[in-house]
Formats: sequence, C-alpha cells, structure tokens
Amino acid sequence: MIGMPASRTWNRIFVALAMAVIAYAVLAPLSSLDVLQSLGMPLLTDKLWFRLATITAMFVVMASAWNIIGGLTGYAAFGNVAFFGIGAYTVGMLITKARWPFLLALPLAPAAAAVFAVLIGLPLLRLRGHYFAVASLGVGVAVGELVQNVDFRGEPLFGGASGLFLPILAVPNRDLYFFYLMLAAAAVSIGVTWAVLRSRFGYGLIAIRENEEAAAVIGVNTTAYKVAAFALAAALTGLAGGVFAQWNVFIDQENSFPIGYNVEMILMALLGGTGTVFGPAAGAVVLQLLIQFLSGSLPITLQIPFVPDDAMPVLAQVVLGVLLTLVVVFAPRGVIDFFGGRSALSIAYLRRSLRETSI
Amino acid sequence: MAAFAQLVIIGLLAGGIYAAVGVGFGLVWGVLNIVNLAHGALVIIGAYLTWQMFAVWGVDPFLTLPIDAIALFVLGYAVQRGVINRIIRAPLLFTFLLTFGLNLIAVNVLLLIFKSDFRSVTTAYSGAGLELGGLVIPYIRLAALGIALVMAAVLAILLSRTRVGLAIQAVGSDRDAAQLVGIDLRHAYAVTFGLGAAVAGVAGGMIAMIQAITPTAGEPYTLQAFVVVILGGLGRVSATVVGGLVFGLVEAFGQSIPGSGSVFANAIAFGVMVLILVTRPQGLMGRLR
Repeated sequence: MIGMPASRTWNRIFVALAMAVIAYAVLAPLSSLDVLQSLGMPLLTDKLWFRLATITAMFVVMASAWNIIGGLTGYAAFGNVAFFGIGAYTVGMLITKARWPFLLALPLAPAAAAVFAVLIGLPLLRLRGHYFAVASLGVGVAVGELVQNVDFRGEPLFGGASGLFLPILAVPNRDLYFFYLMLAAAAVSIGVTWAVLRSRFGYGLIAIRENEEAAAVIGVNTTAYKVAAFALAAALTGLAGGVFAQWNVFIDQENSFPIGYNVEMILMALLGGTGTVFGPAAGAVVLQLLIQFLSGSLPITLQIPFVPDDAMPVLAQVVLGVLLTLVVVFAPRGVIDFFGGRSALSIAYLRRSLRETSI
Repeated sequence: MAAFAQLVIIGLLAGGIYAAVGVGFGLVWGVLNIVNLAHGALVIIGAYLTWQMFAVWGVDPFLTLPIDAIALFVLGYAVQRGVINRIIRAPLLFTFLLTFGLNLIAVNVLLLIFKSDFRSVTTAYSGAGLELGGLVIPYIRLAALGIALVMAAVLAILLSRTRVGLAIQAVGSDRDAAQLVGIDLRHAYAVTFGLGAAVAGVAGGMIAMIQAITPTAGEPYTLQAFVVVILGGLGRVSATVVGGLVFGLVEAFGQSIPGSGSVFANAIAFGVMVLILVTRPQGLMGRLR
C-alpha cells in the first residue's frame, strides 16, 4: 500500500471527528451566556441539551472510573453504583441535614466513597473471579437497600423511601454551571487514568491483571495496589454522584443506586476498549446517546409501527440487552479494536473472535 | 420457645424455595463455570407460565409445574446452544455481561407482554393450611418444600446414575478429557443449562403460588441463589439444598430482629455471603475447588 495504511487514515479521520464533537460540546453552552445572547448569538443549547450533555459527562466519569478497577486491575467490579449513591447521599445529607454549602460538601463525596471502598475492598478484593464480581454486585444492592430503609429512633435516617430534596443552588446559569462541573469531573477522570497508566502504580495494576501471583513475586504489594485502585475508582464515581445530587435536586434509592448503571458503565468501557485512556469515555458518549435515542429523549426519535410510545423505554432496554449480547459474542475486545485502527472490521474478524471463545 | 419453633418452620419453608432456586444455579455454575445472572429471569418466566396457564386457561397450578420444567428446558437448551456456547471460553467478565444482557432482554420482554402489574395465583385451597400450635402452615408452602426436596433428589440421582448425568459431571471436571472420550461438549453444556433452567422454572411456578409476581421479581433470586450456593458449597446438589435451608433460617431469624424486616432481604443475603466468603470460602458442606 502506498502512503499510510488505510487503517491509519481511518484512525486520523476518527480522531478529527471526535475532536470536533468535543469542541462543539464544550463551547456550545457558552452561547447561553447573557453577554453573548445580548450580542445576538444564536442559542445552540437548550434545557434538553444540557440535561443530555450533563448525563453523558456523568457516564464518562463512571466508565473511566470503572476502567481503573475493571480495565487496568482486571477485577470485574459489578457494584460501582454503590459509590455513586454514597457520593450523592453524602452531598444530600450534608446539605439538607447539616446545612453545608454545596461546594464545601462536594469534596466529601469522593472522600466518603473512597473510605467505604477501602473498608469493603479489604475483605472483597481477596476474592477472585466470580466471587468478587457477585460480592461487589451484592454491595451495590445492599447499600441502596440500607440507605432507603435504615431508621434511627423511628425516623428514616437518610430520608427513607421519599428521598431527599436539596435546596436549588442559587447560581446564575445553573444548567451551564452543572454541565461544566460534570465536564470537569469527566476531565479529572480521564486525566487520572492517563496519569495512572504512566505511573509505577499503573504498571503494578497491569501486572496484577496479567498475573497476580507473578506481580506479588516481583514485589508489587498487591493488596495495597488493588485497594488503592478500588478507592480511586470509588472516589471518581462518588464525585459524579455528589454533583448529580445537587444538580438533580432530588435523590432517592432509585435514582442514586440504579442497578442498571453497574452494567452500563462496564458496557461503555468495553465498547470503547478497556485499559485505554479515552476508550471508556468514547464508549460512554456513544452508548449514552444511543440509550437516550432509543428511549425517545432525543429530539430525533424513533417511530416503530405497532409499538406505543410508552413502551419505548422498555424496548430500549431490550435493544440494550441485544447490543450487550452482540458485543460480548462478536467483539469481546471492544469496537475500538477496529475503529482505533488495530484491526480491520470484517467478517473474518468477527468469525475469529467467535472461534476464539466458543466450543 | 413457641416463637423460636415458628421461626424455624418459616425459615425451613422459605429455605425449600431457596434450595429449588439455588440447585439449578449451582449446577450451571459448577459444570459450565458460568454465574448465570439470568437465573432469576428463568425463575420468573416459569412463574409467568404458571400464572398464564392458571389465570387464562384454568389449569391447576401444581399441574403446570411439569410443563414449566419442559418449556424452560427447551428454552435453556436453545439459549446455551445458540448463544452462551459461543463465549464459553471467554474471560468471566464476558459470561457475566452476556447473562446480564440475556436477563435484560427477558425481563423487558416480560414487561412488554405482561406490564409491571402484580399478578398472583390464588386457588380455592390457597388459604388452607395445617394448624400447628397456633401457627398455620399453608399446604402450598409445605408442598413446595416437598417438591423442592424431591426435585433436588431426582437431579442428584440423574447426575450420578445416568449416562447423561455422568457425561455432565465429566464435562464439569475436565472439559478436554471429556471431549477426548467422545462426549459432545456442545450438547452436554446445553443439556446442563437446560436442566438448570428446568429446575428454575419449577421453582418459579411454586413462587407464583406463594407471592405476587412482576417481571422484575426474579432479580433478588439471582443474588439469593448465589448466596445459597456459596453457603452450601459449590459442586453438589445436596450441599446446595443444605445451603438453601440454612439461608432460609438465617433470613427468618435475621428479619425477626427488631427494626429489621423483609426490606433488608438483600442486605441480609449480602452479609451472609461476605461472612461465608471470608471465613469459609468452600461453603458449609463443600470441598475447596
């Protein structure tokens, strides 16, 4: 082939496209500023845009955070939503019960989530494989249940089934504020992943993923490394939860501990490519937009004959399940493998990945 | 003392259901090395089959149980043969995600068909029970415990005395060696998953008689099945039955603690699981694998 290989060209086009989308997403909200509005700048973003963009950024945080424990360390954490909920409830409790200002309460969300991760990580990270995966799934379920149902002197301690209402934060341009806050959290997550991958710590985690016994033999303190990776993932996820609590104003068990998030964040990381810096983030953007599209939250909606509108969110879940199945069966190394230019997408590729794993 | 006996009876009756749910889960896990997150969905499909046959066609719910078993066996066989066999050699995260995906599909298809309304199977004899020192033990629950124990015994005999069962055990202990002696792996795996699904279907049919069901009602049973199998110890049907009964007792006593209640079902299950995993990972009855 003359010049650069076709896959490299695709790679460049892909990166350029991604940069353009990111630049638009980061700059478009500025058009809602009063100064620009008074100058006659067309409004590029509305309430819906902000909602979608903020949620997408939130999933970028969660997928990148999962990548640290799941992708780099190789521990299939299935209950990270517990950290999201703990972050959300830390901010919620500090603001509603202790009357703390939001920006003072927010740093405690990642701190609380990290402390919790250390406490449960010490026993749980001794487990391997299925045992760790299901035990962590159990954490996610159990913490949500406890938060909703624990009573103290006959009163629900954390607001119970009726949840917590936070006062609306008095800032000008709230939508813009929370979008950039969540975006900053996303940038921090990606930055942390980047830094970890280049550090001694990161090499230690990868060594654990590849062979834990061998890592221990060459002097990696596996327990400390695993717990630290778990705590780091928890802190980032808790940060997203903390921002979510004040942004959404209302939190309860259902929106702070959704079991579905556990799998969505993993699927995102998997789609984009686990163990990479940008993969999980890219996967999060693509999959979140797809989920929103399928459930009819985007301006462009899907009309399927014979399916009533209220059944669409349910159908979206079915499609998500089918997608999950297809990705796992046909592209277990993530779609980044071919879009990123490492291998070409072809029938042969799909057949090869199928043959590698089937009997 | 009466209260204690009461809790023991409640615990054992609930434990029968847990054993029935756990046995199929344990079989699939032990032989296929798959933690089947769609197990609760299989249970609830069985429950809806029973409900459908009872409410729409007027069939006695106990007569629907064999039909549940056959239908779920066919479904399980097809799913394993068509889908799960294709990733059986992938890392565990993938089997995990795949079964979660299957769970998502099953639950939401049920939601599309049956909506999220509560459904229950109420027969003429639903309220009747055996009176025992002030405590009424519903006949249905007694029968469910009996059926669970018989089903487990049949499965154990099937696994240890028949050709198919021996093939399944061989595949479970060494896949490559089993293939060398001429066992059709794809078929053996599919039969195993089908058997697990059939048992889950019967458990679901019994659950439909005991509690109101919704499409999402199966999800707690997946976690509970996992706990039951860990509690008993992986690899033997009898161990899972013991695990189920013990778990029923633990839950009954756990929920009787003042300030506790059925809302903590998952938290109790999780607590038991972590305790066992950390202190006795081979289970109460198990050998370390």
